Amino acid sequence: MASSKTASRIDAFSTYVGNTVAWLTLAMIAVTFIVVLLRYAFGIGAVWMQESVVWMHGAVFMLGAASTLQREEHVRVDIFYRNLSDIGQAWINVIGVLLFLMPFSLFLMYASYDYVAASWAIGEVSRDAGGLPYPLLPLIKSVLLLMPAMVALQGLSMLVIAIRRLRARHLPSAGTTRRNG
Amino acid sequence: MEWVGALLFLAVILFLLAGFPVAFTLAGTGLLFAFAGVIAGTFEAAFLSGLPSRVFGIMNNETLVAVPLFVFMGITLERARIAEDLLETLSSLFGSMRGGLGISVTLVGMLLAASTGIVGATVVTMGLLSLPTMLKRGYSPEIATGTICASGTLGQIIPPSIILVMLGDVMSAAYQQAQLAQGNFSPRTVSVGDLFAGALIPGLLLVGLYVAYLIGVAIVRPKTMPAHVMEPGKTVSLLQVINALAPPLILIFAVLGSILGGKATPTEAAGVGAVGALLMALQRRALTLERLRAIMRGTLSVSSMVFMILIGASIFSLVFRGYGGDDVVREWLHALPGGVISAMLLVMLLMFLLGFVLDFIEITFVVVPIVAPILLTMGLDPVWLGIMIAINLQTSFLTPPFGFALFYLRGVAPPSITTGQIYRGVMPFIALQLFALLMLALLPQLVTWLPEKIYG
Repeated sequence: MASSKTASRIDAFSTYVGNTVAWLTLAMIAVTFIVVLLRYAFGIGAVWMQESVVWMHGAVFMLGAASTLQREEHVRVDIFYRNLSDIGQAWINVIGVLLFLMPFSLFLMYASYDYVAASWAIGEVSRDAGGLPYPLLPLIKSVLLLMPAMVALQGLSMLVIAIRRLRARHLPSAGTTRRNG
Repeated sequence: MEWVGALLFLAVILFLLAGFPVAFTLAGTGLLFAFAGVIAGTFEAAFLSGLPSRVFGIMNNETLVAVPLFVFMGITLERARIAEDLLETLSSLFGSMRGGLGISVTLVGMLLAASTGIVGATVVTMGLLSLPTMLKRGYSPEIATGTICASGTLGQIIPPSIILVMLGDVMSAAYQQAQLAQGNFSPRTVSVGDLFAGALIPGLLLVGLYVAYLIGVAIVRPKTMPAHVMEPGKTVSLLQVINALAPPLILIFAVLGSILGGKATPTEAAGVGAVGALLMALQRRALTLERLRAIMRGTLSVSSMVFMILIGASIFSLVFRGYGGDDVVREWLHALPGGVISAMLLVMLLMFLLGFVLDFIEITFVVVPIVAPILLTMGLDPVWLGIMIAINLQTSFLTPPFGFALFYLRGVAPPSITTGQIYRGVMPFIALQLFALLMLALLPQLVTWLPEKIYG
């Protein structure tokens, strides 16, 4: 069983990636603004710039998924959840990680492997003329493996934290009530 | 095996209610049913082989790039405290009128909706900002809470709301599918711009109804919303009014105008709008590096949340379709006596009820792709259907005991406000919503006129 040290290392890793990738949101805005400016002020179309905004967007939500999980910002239907005790919530998280999150992440990784490998193997390039050069497209497709890998890791951290909370239930309250995230 | 589709749908609702994050519950439930089906020999494993290209398709969806950009713009405006200034200025402008503060809150809700489009945030901001002031000035708790909840949910319907962007994307796919199914191989299209144009008149109609209601109450029961006596010297100058109102208004008109005028795509307008919002924040000296990081972080979280739900929903839909679930829904809807009218009524009722447990995002990505192609095949207009769904869900989010808006407001309301008062307060607004729905049903031109005028 992974220790709580592992959990905090995973949390730190997800947070680091999330905070770094977050800068891309600013870049998306800057590039969109420049694209509009070039088009309307100078009549220049920049396909690769326009395309790059779409790819940055994909990278943002895929690579940010784990840190969003860590921050408890993936929305829950919480009509019942919010009224549960700490223990009840921990149980939901244990079951949810094992039954939903892990199968999803592992299956997506398994299913995407050939898809991503094929893209690297054939040296895939953008369909649009003037689009992004090789190897950016295979690189972006690789996010299909990175996202589930990071989400699975963050799920592991969530599991460790929830189990620690369940184990601590018989002990006198010892700072175990802090919520994940 | 059709019953498996129904079972899958029931199971996902139950699992969602347990409270694990929606995105993973949708994906996981779908996959569990698929695995079980593969083992039992009732589900073709080949259905799942398209999964990577589907997820990649979501990463590659150009229409939806507008979502994070609008979110960035909205969060920036929120951090720049635009709402506070607007409310303060408008209420000192109208506050000395009976009911003036209530009307100000409605108008700020409208402007905020147009600039942020995030429902929870709007209700919370308005609740924190205006509820204490309204109570202090002697407004009855019912009127105060009802006004805040209702104006807070305007964000779904008043363009440029991110919900309309998502709904526009889903509707456009559904419309293609419906026309192809009818043998039309050069199908007409529907865009996010169409939905924005279609939502404009109904959105303003709702605001008009709210304001008319507040004026009515102010006349009939003046004690529930008294006029505020301004302290001398505390009146606002015209310059202050312009200062508070002009920047957000210019931003909204520029963003909406360029989309509706066909000058820019929603994505481009959102990008430029976000730059505008950053400039506004800079001009107010409300932009620090720390705040910029928080804005980017917030944008990342909201987009991850939204798009992971889209991924989860698309896995769920894949499995649902694999079990023939959508065929069952089609048969049911076609078998209803009364044709398209009763099918529409049933779908609206179902969505209203689902709105108690599911958010707009889930309903848009899970339910709309199943039912919209069927309803569109029956001859409904896609823009009209989209707006009806949006207002219907907005009403659902206002309806006790499960409406989301009520929970958000409850979370920030002082304990002296009872939940019963909030419930009683929103009742008249629910009636207004239903009235608006009825009007749009009888006069679809209210929705379809503007898009046709603009886009032909």
